[in-house]
Amino acid sequence: MWRLSPSPTRPWPVVLLVVLIGLVAAQPVFAQQLVRLTFYYPVGVSGPLARVINEMVDQFNAEHPNIEVVAVYTGDYDPTMQKVQTAVMGGNPPDIAVVEISEFPTLLAMDAIIPLDEYLAQEDPSYFNDFFPAFWENSRYDGKIWAIPFQRSTPVLYWNKEAFAEVGLDPDRPPRTWDELAEYAALLTKREGGQVTRWGVTISGGWNDWLFEGFVRQNGGKLIDFENRSLHLNSPEAVEALEFWVKLTQQMQVAPPHSTWASTPADFVAGKTAMLYHSTGILTFLKDSATFDFGVAFMPGKKSYGAAVGGGNFFIFKNIPKERQDAAWTFIRWMTTAERAAQWSIASGYIATRQSSYEYPQMQAYVARHPEYLVARDQLQYAYGKAMSPAFQRVREVLKRALDDATAGRMTPRQALDGAQRQLEMQLRQWLQGN
Amino acid sequence: MRRNLRALTPYVYLVPSLVLLGAFTYYPILRSLYVSFFDWNLFSPRPVYAGLANYRYLLQDPTFHLVLRNTLVYVAVTIPVTMALALITAVLLNERLGWLRDVYRVAAFYPTMVPMAAAGMLWVLLLNPSIGLVNHYLGYLGVRRIDWLYDMNWALPAIMLASVWKNYGYFMLIYLAGLQNIPSSLYEAADIEGAGFWHKLRYVTLPLVAPTTVFVFVVAIISSFQVFDLVYVMTQGGPGDRTNVLVYFIYQYAFRFGDWGMASALTVLFVAGLLVVILLVMRMVERRVHYEV
Repeated sequence: MWRLSPSPTRPWPVVLLVVLIGLVAAQPVFAQQLVRLTFYYPVGVSGPLARVINEMVDQFNAEHPNIEVVAVYTGDYDPTMQKVQTAVMGGNPPDIAVVEISEFPTLLAMDAIIPLDEYLAQEDPSYFNDFFPAFWENSRYDGKIWAIPFQRSTPVLYWNKEAFAEVGLDPDRPPRTWDELAEYAALLTKREGGQVTRWGVTISGGWNDWLFEGFVRQNGGKLIDFENRSLHLNSPEAVEALEFWVKLTQQMQVAPPHSTWASTPADFVAGKTAMLYHSTGILTFLKDSATFDFGVAFMPGKKSYGAAVGGGNFFIFKNIPKERQDAAWTFIRWMTTAERAAQWSIASGYIATRQSSYEYPQMQAYVARHPEYLVARDQLQYAYGKAMSPAFQRVREVLKRALDDATAGRMTPRQALDGAQRQLEMQLRQWLQGN
Repeated sequence: MRRNLRALTPYVYLVPSLVLLGAFTYYPILRSLYVSFFDWNLFSPRPVYAGLANYRYLLQDPTFHLVLRNTLVYVAVTIPVTMALALITAVLLNERLGWLRDVYRVAAFYPTMVPMAAAGMLWVLLLNPSIGLVNHYLGYLGVRRIDWLYDMNWALPAIMLASVWKNYGYFMLIYLAGLQNIPSSLYEAADIEGAGFWHKLRYVTLPLVAPTTVFVFVVAIISSFQVFDLVYVMTQGGPGDRTNVLVYFIYQYAFRFGDWGMASALTVLFVAGLLVVILLVMRMVERRVHYEV
């Protein structure tokens, strides 16, 4: 019989103690086997994409018992870069992050990331060559590859087919040139008692610097020459592009002078604007929300079609243990299979980064039903790498300010861009002078 | 010996607050001053001595001028409006209004209890040009659609509006306390002299809440120079930096541009400017206010 009072002969407390000690001692062994990775990711456009990322990460973790990826949602692109910057400077970098592609030189300047050639060398060359070449342009420096394309886009023009039909335009023919765009926008703008109830076209604010770069490319110019370290914000091509914006917003008043990145997709869905410049990343959101038929087109051209690619790339960080860098590569490799790129493209509207993604039956069936998913991809033949420089956040701020000032009619395009050029030459002088 | 110990006693009591103030206020201020003389940014990740270069850059930076102007406009408009509104509401709510008084007091104080970020989001919705309530009701009055936060002229006023709404309740509460400290005998005397509401307000109430006014004024100066949250939530400084204010500008330099030297120089200018303003205000009002009844 067991007695209730403690007895030295009772073995249970001792057994329990031994088990406990064993568990505690065994802990480091388990911990060693499990590599835990922190993964910062942004969601650059509206829509429930955070959920999609989390599902992918869960699936990865289930398939890789030795790796646990902890996905940390870090807001949209700008806050994500801030968090990365702060974490790196604080000596506690994330292991993996998806960062806006123009931030690449800043990460280099901070000495925060590692080149990935060693990992790419382990892969079959078909992996590298399968990505659309334009997507690699924001990954190269010093003959090395530092980033893997992930959520990638080009800006496109969305048009409301019902509005086109209403004003007598062919609903299946989007504007193809700047002149046509202006002409259509004038027809499509609706006014009631001197107030605009529907804009002809909206060039979304917030990332209008990126859209503007597309206009400059269409006009045969280039804003920043990364290789040769020079700025061309006030080139004749750029000034002419901004003059066109001012014509739409001030002279013709067929486009709103200012707007925000987050609000314009909703404006389009609500019929407040008949045409919209925005990322292809909102396509799925528009398709799910719009109650009318709409189309997706290349951004209208001037000298030619043109666009700057956009979006986010994967980076692996420096100053973390090698085993975590290796595990990070395993994760990135897994996230960028052609099949997953297809799946991600369908979920978001982003371009599938790999050419063979479009051969998957699931993808083929999807684009057969929704050919508008191919527009951004086809536009890639006219697309260039996105402007980039160290401290790109400043470039963005200064350029956006110049664009806003000009479209508000506060300054002439030339004044605004001359000012921006001067200001940035000051702010980036260390980089421009080759340090 | 014993006397020496006694002399030390107050400092012993001061230690906890000195440690905290030192670690989180004085040391950071001095450190900012030190760092402000260095180039310390993404281009030179290790601080390099640069003398007054950061200050020189700021003095000729058009964005800094704009930010300074925005901040001064914000301060110059929100303080008088908020204080006037707070005083008027406090005087009215100090009258006998029965149970309604409590209802109004709660209503006026309520915005103070709403978290700043939530208040900002609320105003973003209210001020939305196409679906916002503000434009909706202005429409009935025949006012043309205003783009509020997207309009260079209206964005800063919109933030000031939200700020007044958010802050006047707190100042009203302080005024109410001040009003209730005025001895009723003074009003009785005024009644006997045959003074009406306006005379009592002018010759009894206003002079006697002057100390409260000074307090409210100083607090309002400090808090309005520090405006950040509303800007961060509502406009992120846009459009075209028309709502960019000093503290937001510092934040941009420190956390977005990764330029710690410049952010420190801005902080030094900010703290120094604020100190000067407060000293001027204190000196100006000191002689004019009766602290005793």
